[in-house]
Amino acid sequence: MEQNETKRRRSDRPEKKSAPKKKNAALTAPKKLKLLFTVVDRKKAELFSDLIGGYGVNLQIVLAGEGTAKTETLRLLGLDDTARAVIVSVIRDDKAPAIFEMLEEKFESVRGGKGIAWSVPMTSAVGVAIYQFLSDYREGQDPARGNERGSRP
Amino acid sequence: MTFSHECIVCIVNTGFSDAVMDAAREFGARGGTVIHGRGTASREAERFFGISIQPDKELVLILVPHDLTDKILHALYRAVGLKTPGQGIAFSLPVDQVVGLSVFSPDASGEAPAGNGDA
Repeated sequence: MEQNETKRRRSDRPEKKSAPKKKNAALTAPKKLKLLFTVVDRKKAELFSDLIGGYGVNLQIVLAGEGTAKTETLRLLGLDDTARAVIVSVIRDDKAPAIFEMLEEKFESVRGGKGIAWSVPMTSAVGVAIYQFLSDYREGQDPARGNERGSRP
Repeated sequence: MTFSHECIVCIVNTGFSDAVMDAAREFGARGGTVIHGRGTASREAERFFGISIQPDKELVLILVPHDLTDKILHALYRAVGLKTPGQGIAFSLPVDQVVGLSVFSPDASGEAPAGNGDA
C-alpha cells in the first residue's frame, strides 16, 4: 500500500523540463591561452599596453624592469636608457598572430618603441569564470564572428 | 614539441643580477631584463633546512635559442646556484613565438641568427 502511495506521489510530480537547447550553439573547443611578455622602454609601456588591450586582452600586468645590455650594445641599438617595462598579458592563442604582427610593426615604426615580445603557452587555469575573463569569452557572442573587440584596431 | 627559443627565468638575491648576466653571456646570451621582487619562502622550511632567505630578489628574464638553454642553466647553477651567496634558482619556459630580436652579425643575410636573446 505504502509502495503504491509512493508511486502515485512520484507520478504526481511535474516532469522536470530539460533545459531548452540553444539554437546555433556551436560546439567549439576552449581557446588556448598564452602569456605574452613584452619588454619596451618604460615611457612606452602605456602605449603598448593599450595596443595589446585592443585585442580583447582583459588582464595585463606592467612590471618595472631594467635592461642589462652593455653600453656598447645600447649605443649600437640607439638605446641610452636602461629603464624598461615588462608587460605580462594573458592572450588567446587565436589572437596571437595578429598581436605579434602588430607588435612587430610598432617596434619598427614607433620612435623609441624598439622592444621584444615573446609568448609562453599556458597549460592550465582554474575556475570557469577566471577562464572566461582571461579569454574574453562573452555569453551569446557569435562564435563564427568571434569577439569584435578582437579585431585589429 | 621543441621551440626555437626559451625564456630562462633566474631568481637571485638582490645584487646578483650582474653575476647572472655574466654567466649567461659566457655561453651566448645577449641581454636580459631584471625585475625586482620579494621572496616569500616559508619560515618553517627555513628553520628546517637551517638556511635564511633574503626576501629581496631580482628576477632575470633571458631569451635564448633553444640549443643554448642547457649550457646557460648549468652556468647559472654553478655561478649563482643555491649553494652560492646568490642563492639563485633558474628554470626555462618554452617560447612559441618571438618578435623584436636584433640582428647583430654584420654577415647576417636576413636570416634570424642564433643567440640573439636581447630582452
